[in-house]
Amino acid sequence: MGTFLKKDMLVLVRDKTELTILLAMPFILMVILGFALRGLLGGDTEALHMPVAVVQLDDEQRGTEQFVDELDSIGLPPEVMAELEMTAAELRPYSLLENILTSDNMSDMLEPVLLDASEAEQALKNGEVAAVLTVPENFTYHALQKMLLDIGSGSELHISVSEYGSLSASLFHEIIDRFVHTLNFETAVSKASGDMATTSAEQEEMAAAADIGGIETVSAREPVSSFQYYTIAMAVMFVLYVATAIGQKAYVERQQHVFSRILLSDRHPLAYLGGKFVSATVIAFCQIVILFVLSSLIFRSFASETVAFWFGMAVISFVLSICVGGVAALLTSLTIRFNNNAVTIVFSAGIVSLLAFVGGSFMPVSEMAEFLGVIGRWTPNGAALSAYIQWMQGADAKLLLEPMTRIAVIAVVLLSASVFIFPRRRSI
Amino acid sequence: MLETEALRKVFNGKAAVDGINLYMEKGESVGLLGPNGAGKSTTISMISSLVRPTSGDVMLHGKSTVKDPSQIRRVLGVVPQEIALYQELTAYENLIFFGRIYGLRGKVLEKKIAEVLELVGLADRQKEVVKTYSGGMQRRINMAAAMLHEPEILIMDEPTVGIDPQSRSHILETVRRLNQEKGLTVLYTSHYMEEVERLCDRVYIMDHGRIIASGAKDELKRILSGEETIWIDLDRPYPKLLSSLQMNEEIIQATETEKGVKLIVPKGARILASVFQEAEHHQVQIVNVNVQTPTLEDVFLHLTGRKLRD
Ligand SMILES: Nc1ncnc2c1ncn2[C@@H]1O[C@H](COP(=O)(O)OP(=O)(O)O)[C@@H](O)[C@H]1O
Ligand SMILES: [Mg+2]
Repeated sequence: MGTFLKKDMLVLVRDKTELTILLAMPFILMVILGFALRGLLGGDTEALHMPVAVVQLDDEQRGTEQFVDELDSIGLPPEVMAELEMTAAELRPYSLLENILTSDNMSDMLEPVLLDASEAEQALKNGEVAAVLTVPENFTYHALQKMLLDIGSGSELHISVSEYGSLSASLFHEIIDRFVHTLNFETAVSKASGDMATTSAEQEEMAAAADIGGIETVSAREPVSSFQYYTIAMAVMFVLYVATAIGQKAYVERQQHVFSRILLSDRHPLAYLGGKFVSATVIAFCQIVILFVLSSLIFRSFASETVAFWFGMAVISFVLSICVGGVAALLTSLTIRFNNNAVTIVFSAGIVSLLAFVGGSFMPVSEMAEFLGVIGRWTPNGAALSAYIQWMQGADAKLLLEPMTRIAVIAVVLLSASVFIFPRRRSI
Repeated sequence: MLETEALRKVFNGKAAVDGINLYMEKGESVGLLGPNGAGKSTTISMISSLVRPTSGDVMLHGKSTVKDPSQIRRVLGVVPQEIALYQELTAYENLIFFGRIYGLRGKVLEKKIAEVLELVGLADRQKEVVKTYSGGMQRRINMAAAMLHEPEILIMDEPTVGIDPQSRSHILETVRRLNQEKGLTVLYTSHYMEEVERLCDRVYIMDHGRIIASGAKDELKRILSGEETIWIDLDRPYPKLLSSLQMNEEIIQATETEKGVKLIVPKGARILASVFQEAEHHQVQIVNVNVQTPTLEDVFLHLTGRKLRD
């Protein structure tokens, strides 16, 4: 194995074209996409410091009281009423919004100031603020009615921006949007949990969930920067080209009769296949490491991460590399068996791009049609990408088990197929 | 020690090799001669266990190598017709790889590499990448790679095709030395008569997948023992002379050459006088006359009616 590995590495290192594809291309794309799409992913916002005006027309206290007062007139059982009152007092939608806007995570991006309507309008005109968020009168009242009783259509937050379509404005929009979503989500949950017959314990839990959920959606996850995202995205895409490079080299070996020479040495034919598998795995792993290191050094994409973090990244990379080894083994088997590199060419010319697309290498899967996302999760690159991102966002290791299992299953299937296809006879 | 029995290989319904029987004794140098497409490479591939025969068998010390290829692979060194090397690697790196897949390691491997490089005379250029070598140097490394594991039998498939005269004579000389000094058994395939004549004790002549003649060189030439070849150089090409010679009933065959004509005539025929007369008649100058005993080339021509290098 060591013999084959060393030789395959040497052959690859001497091949400038292949090296360009494997290292330079993903790096360049990483830079281009990382810069171009900076901000879209919400993690590159450190330097944004966008001043926004908040025009608060709502009176939370009064809104809550009004909501409670009106509960009397609906004629609910007294226990339910008591619980609803408590929940209403705890929910406090405006405070929730305020908390989010002034939270630590947001403070890097947003600098909210409370202004009255005319001041805000002036500030927007003068360019002193990038956006004005107007919390309308009766916001609390309408929100509570919608959330707890599903009456009315809720309350609308209003955003005025100075520059439509600007990055900061759209980012702000996104934040508020998510907040509103959280509120609506809460509405859905309270409705689904059985009208108003819920116990107060459950209500409290829900209220707590509203806090956690609200913050989680918007900011509690570690944000992923576009450089981080595209470092990963390009790595999981271009690692697939290791398999095609190995497949192509196998074709050259077959064509130039080096393969015959290897057979003549009386090595078991499967040793050759095993060599290709190991080579592809190791080369893939090296490639990922090089890309991560480059990205860290040049863009500080993964600065100041812990040993545990890198260990997790290494495990994901290793499993993905094994899967790439599987792809390489299959391409090698097909090439040697049929003395034809058509499959390898089709794979590198089209299938890799397709896999990369559905796997989310060009844009996050969340932005794509749902069925593509489902397919994407079953691609080795897509599964690895989501595993990496989850890990980077500080997800529990247990959560990674599922995508990792998918990659492993794919790897086993590929390897079995390649062993099955590889010519077992000791002659051609 | 090595023997083929009615070896046959059919590709797409066409027999590339059609019932070949040949044998090699230890220390012998055997030639396999035939034009392109005769089936030489296919025969060699079957002998070296790379191609499975459609029928027939290859026996090493009386045991079938088709059933158990391992035994022959251990003692065989094959120099393929193609340059079976990694073009991007240096000669040294290639030899390291091929030595290691034969199980050689460390000092032993280093020593063997030094030895084979010395043998092919490329020790001083071993650190250069193969693809920068001339065709001749590539062929020499191609041969070196087959020698690393000290084979007892060396099979060479047209090892001198398309190379410079220097590399060619180096290879021929190396093979001759290996055979005569080291007692290596050699099967040498070529479509160059003179190489086979120079190297081999015994020759098989192949055409269209069959052996059309075999035997020691002299035996083969005796096929033509009743004939002589006469080379006549003229001061200028003169087709009319050729056609009148072709009419001559005493002459078996008259063909045009670069410098004049070549005649095959019955031994002892007093033909020259009439040739000079014809030349006189057509007013051409004869600048040189050379009478030769037959070559293997002539044998082939005689057997097939074709030249080897068509
Ligand atoms: N793998 C193959 N598939 C089909 N035909 C083949 C194959 N190898 C050789 N042949 C055919 O068999 C014949 C003999 O080829 P070969 O053994 O290479 O001849 P030689 O080495 O004497 O030039 C040729 O007609 C060639 O086209
Ligand atoms: Mg040939």
